[in-house]
Amino acid sequence: MPHDRTKSVIRFMKTLAGQVRGVDRVPFFAIIDEQFISRIMGITTREILSSPETYANCLIKTADFIKADTIQIPSAYAGPAEAYAFAEANSKMDSIQWYDYKPLAIKQGEVCKTEEDIEKLEIPEHSKIDLWDTTYKTANIIREKTKFPQGMGLGIWSVVQELRGINAFKDIRKNPDLLLKLCEKIYKSQLDSYNNWIEKVGESPIIMYTGYAFNKHMMSFKDAMKYEGQFIKRFQKEIKSPFFLHNCGTRPYFREACNEIDFIAVNGSHPLNIKYWIDFKKDFPKVTIMGANIDVSRELFTGTPQDVEEKVKENIINLAPGGRYIVSPICCLPWGVPIPNVLAIPEAIEKYGHYPIKGA
Amino acid sequence: MKNDEMLTRIKNSIVEGESEKTIEAVNEALKRGVDYKDILNRAIIKGAAEVGELYEQEEYFLADMLMTGDAINAAMNILKDSFLEISEGPPKGIILIGTVEGDVHDIGKALVASLLNGQAFDVIDLGSDVPPEIFVEKAKKLKPDVIGLSGLLTMSISKMHETILLLKKEGIPAKIIIGGGIVSKNSCAMIGADDCAKDGWVGIKKIKTLISNTKRG
Repeated sequence: MPHDRTKSVIRFMKTLAGQVRGVDRVPFFAIIDEQFISRIMGITTREILSSPETYANCLIKTADFIKADTIQIPSAYAGPAEAYAFAEANSKMDSIQWYDYKPLAIKQGEVCKTEEDIEKLEIPEHSKIDLWDTTYKTANIIREKTKFPQGMGLGIWSVVQELRGINAFKDIRKNPDLLLKLCEKIYKSQLDSYNNWIEKVGESPIIMYTGYAFNKHMMSFKDAMKYEGQFIKRFQKEIKSPFFLHNCGTRPYFREACNEIDFIAVNGSHPLNIKYWIDFKKDFPKVTIMGANIDVSRELFTGTPQDVEEKVKENIINLAPGGRYIVSPICCLPWGVPIPNVLAIPEAIEKYGHYPIKGA
Repeated sequence: MKNDEMLTRIKNSIVEGESEKTIEAVNEALKRGVDYKDILNRAIIKGAAEVGELYEQEEYFLADMLMTGDAINAAMNILKDSFLEISEGPPKGIILIGTVEGDVHDIGKALVASLLNGQAFDVIDLGSDVPPEIFVEKAKKLKPDVIGLSGLLTMSISKMHETILLLKKEGIPAKIIIGGGIVSKNSCAMIGADDCAKDGWVGIKKIKTLISNTKRG
């Protein structure tokens, strides 16, 4: 049966906004990147990105194959693609590595190896970057074909890490002003990227904010606010669309971040204890949970379809009653994940995720 | 200043991650005849342990750990220059470490390499994006006690698996630990690693345990 995308849009957008009426079941949000598309479509990353039409078709077909409700362009995420833009604007394309069956990557720390590199760092013009041009055009094709509104991604620290590498962490102690200067340049670049999106794609109904600084492994919450949080607040003054916080780290500051910043949803897979998420739902009733504890490196990778079904069921019966819950395995689906395990997600949603849902 | 006070000064400078103060304090201690073994065991290793505890208590973060790593390495460089016995004597263990092919993230791995290097382990960091064949080639040449495979991307698990299969096929006897936010006990068992660690500090502790078990065994 062909995927009813109109229903997908309704269930995803309404659930995100906290509406229950008119939502038939729990939505399925999957982060599909080039490695998974390659696997499903049998073509290389370069082939996927060879034209907006190919890119869009591959994404739609892959999302349809796993029955995901959402379709998001991986290159619109503020990580490697944004680093790619900086590399191109600063004539450092030799720091970019292409792979056949996975996303392009940048050698961490190559673009801003020295203090002088940061001082002289040119802010990219996204309209002149080929990868971003393809991204904007692809977003338009997907929106036209699926009616799924295309949202873009922002993030400061995810890009800091790509450009400055391990030295960024030393800068926190040794050279905070220099680090803030880098954050500021990334902020301006991201605004340029966003403005291009508005011009070429249209309003982004939601912003996926990749907040890697909001992780206890990385830094204190105070530093996370300094190098990421304050910029989110500034973005939110410029951009009226709601933000959701994505963090695939193992010790995220979700609670702390939601106390300080206005997020419509949080998207992560840790902590693994479901009780954390039950309490989170009680304490943050206006924040939608996307994910909770469905981690791609656990049941999905090493378990059976039955294990995946149990995990999805656990999340649904504990978090979906009353709405504001979206099933989302975190993070990208790995190359070696058994396909029957991935397909067990929509099957479990079909089995347990139709409203009204009886709680645990 | 008494020896104990000098050792405390070195230890504190390491805990504070102040490399320049560490260099000054180590040079001063050596000048006054403090035994380098005391500097190593009672100041450097003690300082590293204290930093680890602060990290576990969420008072210290990655930045602090890296600053400590720099301070420890600064201290070790002086000791190695002054006392050839340290560099010529047998290390506590040889560790071969690298981020697997297809993954260029190196922050967690660099932390492990930096802190272990400073505690009399011989750490060979192969860098990032390391193909399985290079791990095998280096392992044959360097005969490590432990091989650490690091990765951040979800796809890296498959590459870790491929690397482990090749290491085992080639008869490399070293214990293998996988590290990174993506790993779990289940994935560790599934791909045939001996242990796993989600972050650098846990990795350091587990590598030490693997080495002491190897030496005992």
